[in-house]
Amino acid sequence: MSMSNQNYSYEMIRSELTWVVGEEYVQCSDSDKLGHSIDYYWVPELWHDRGKIPTPPDFVVHPATTEQVAEVMKIANNYGIPVTPWGGGSGSQGGALPMYGGIILDMKRMNKVLEIDAVSMTATAEVGINAQHLEWAVEKAGYSTMHFPASIACATLGGFIAHRGTGVLSTKYGKMEDIIMSLEVVTPTGEIINTLPVPRHASGPDLTQMFLGSEGTLGVVTKATLKIHPIPEARKFHAFLFPTMHDAMTAGAKIMTSRLRPCVIRLYDEPETAKLIKKVLGIDKQGAYLVFGFDGPEKMVDLEMEEACKICRASEHEDLGTDMGQAWWDNRYKFFYPPYMFQLPQAFGTLDTVATFSNIEKVYWAMKNTVTENFPQAQFIGHFSHWYEWGCMLYARFIIDTPPEDPREAIALYNKIWDMAIRAAIKEGGVINEHHGVGLKLGRIMKELYGPAFKVLQDVKQVLDPNNIMNPGKMGFKGK
Amino acid sequence: MYMEKYLDVINACRFCFMCRHLSPLGNVTFKEADTPRGRALIMDRFRLDRANMNNSDYIQTIYESPLSAACRFHCVSHYDEAGLMLAGRKDIVEAGLAPEAVKTLAEELKQAQFKVEGAGKVLYYRDPYSDNADAFSGCKVISGGDTGKALEVLGFSADAEAVFKRFKQAVADSGCDTLVCSCPASYDMLKNKLDGVKVLHSSEYIEGRKGSGQVYLLESDYLKNYNNMTSAADMLIRLGYELKPFGTNREESYTAGEAAVVYDKLYPRLAEKLCERIVELADDPGKDILVTASPYTKAVLKKYAPQLKVMLLDEIAVKGV
Repeated sequence: MSMSNQNYSYEMIRSELTWVVGEEYVQCSDSDKLGHSIDYYWVPELWHDRGKIPTPPDFVVHPATTEQVAEVMKIANNYGIPVTPWGGGSGSQGGALPMYGGIILDMKRMNKVLEIDAVSMTATAEVGINAQHLEWAVEKAGYSTMHFPASIACATLGGFIAHRGTGVLSTKYGKMEDIIMSLEVVTPTGEIINTLPVPRHASGPDLTQMFLGSEGTLGVVTKATLKIHPIPEARKFHAFLFPTMHDAMTAGAKIMTSRLRPCVIRLYDEPETAKLIKKVLGIDKQGAYLVFGFDGPEKMVDLEMEEACKICRASEHEDLGTDMGQAWWDNRYKFFYPPYMFQLPQAFGTLDTVATFSNIEKVYWAMKNTVTENFPQAQFIGHFSHWYEWGCMLYARFIIDTPPEDPREAIALYNKIWDMAIRAAIKEGGVINEHHGVGLKLGRIMKELYGPAFKVLQDVKQVLDPNNIMNPGKMGFKGK
Repeated sequence: MYMEKYLDVINACRFCFMCRHLSPLGNVTFKEADTPRGRALIMDRFRLDRANMNNSDYIQTIYESPLSAACRFHCVSHYDEAGLMLAGRKDIVEAGLAPEAVKTLAEELKQAQFKVEGAGKVLYYRDPYSDNADAFSGCKVISGGDTGKALEVLGFSADAEAVFKRFKQAVADSGCDTLVCSCPASYDMLKNKLDGVKVLHSSEYIEGRKGSGQVYLLESDYLKNYNNMTSAADMLIRLGYELKPFGTNREESYTAGEAAVVYDKLYPRLAEKLCERIVELADDPGKDILVTASPYTKAVLKKYAPQLKVMLLDEIAVKGV
């Protein structure tokens, strides 16, 4: 919509929204619109940087209860207004951008921890809670969510649910789809539903998993129950340097396929070791940096650590020891603060891809060759940051230090790099995203990724959201 | 423009979310605009086109910042978002664009006239929020208004300087070589600007009497985030109290706007919301003893959260719990 606030209909809708959430929680000021028109996606950042105005919402609405969310849905359906849920706004895919104006449903007012169940080791919270605030609250009770993403300080629980987020300890404690037990959801037509209370059952397809990663296109998640964990007795790290990324990957894969259970493994390719490991950790070495850690009872940690080190020592390596491993853990968020993180005027993107061990290096080289051969002005770096029994995630990045000044040219170049690199990854068995989501950035590739199966998702969307009010234009679903 | 000295901060903060969990106002209004990122975006709009300074929404947001500097303390690179806000306010004032309420309050603050009373070698500055004369009965007392700090944070730097000059003269006339203040904001200004006089915060001066029991310290923005001081906690421990961690962490600001000096006068509803968060995070709001070094924080909590048991650091030192 993006209607004029001089229009009588604008005031009608605004007043109805205030009846639901209160006058003070429907915001329309220019300050509010600016803050909600830019997330962590490079394109709106660039647009702002070049003095242009990113598409703003018409209203920013802060509901306090699930019932208020349901009422807002009914108003939105009545007028056919888009509703875009917003958590911390720190998504990198443009998933929370109000492409067509309308209502930004900012969930941060729903920020309460409702229950900590020490018997079942679960916590139930409203999803607008900031992830760091949630972790602090759980820690105060003597536990941990073990969810430590780089965005812990900025994103909300709902944001992580919306795009299947992950944290640095995911290799042991899982991604959001492993962490979540059950959800409360407001459907696009305003019904309040709950998914089954446990994540393992044989009572039909799993609704919790359907809403996880739906990025606000199928409804608004309002509450969630998640697993929590005891604080481990010990957590230890060790780092190695290998001559090549392939050597390091062989060792990392062996650790996983040996069914050791590290809480973290990170492998940085040679260019990223030279660039970021040097800049952030001060380790100035040629090669591929591999760090891993184990946590739990100290005896088990020591035993698993010994086995993992034995695997690494079986091939050519430099043992960087525990200090250089611990340094990574201590500085794990530092990579994302300015000036360590890439920032405008640079153009940069995280080509997040996941694949099996058989394919992951092929994916890496396909993307790297595509980027460097077609876009000589771009650097390509990558690390492998979330590991499974069968494969791992590639956190590849391209960086252009001086993109075109003209914003249209810059966006065209940026889009082209994404398009070509991602298609190259898919061709080699990569899945386009592991934990950042699809959003606006990658929606166009969803049909290609899923093939005929995408129609199933489209049909689900059509049935749940007949008026297409929920976050239109995202995840490959149609726009307004 | 003053803000041009902070272009590195604008560039670093405008797209960075890494401290948003510590934004005291953002945590109670839930507005993106009320975070360091949101405010840096606005300042960037000013940078891109000065005509944006005519936008009253933007200016209001810049003035509503509580200036806690929790973000700067947290940031691995310590980007000075609070400094950026102060520079922006100076630009706004020089352009004649300050909100009317701010201008009216500034007029009032400009009227400060200082007087010194009593006897003693040490001079105690009684700020407008203080009600703790007992702790300083052996001191001369200077009073009469804010030292210029409030004008400074509102962006009226020339007027702040004029008030400070009067304060400085009154201090010189007192003949004292040591000045003590309870107000962390005043301390922050005076220790940096008052030449020839030793400036102490009351937590560095009062010996106090021994006590016992558990207390929660609401750490001061100016002592912790601006000056990296632990004197308040040190004093409580020295006196024998057991310090319990307030809330869930030591990084958030629990001062209800102390760093903005006169926050409650300009934005009472926002100050009230900041107090509500303190109530929400207290373990047992009716029972816990909360200690603050800031007379402002105590006064505002007393007003908006009367169910809390709040004591000023000076007060606990003299009277015990």
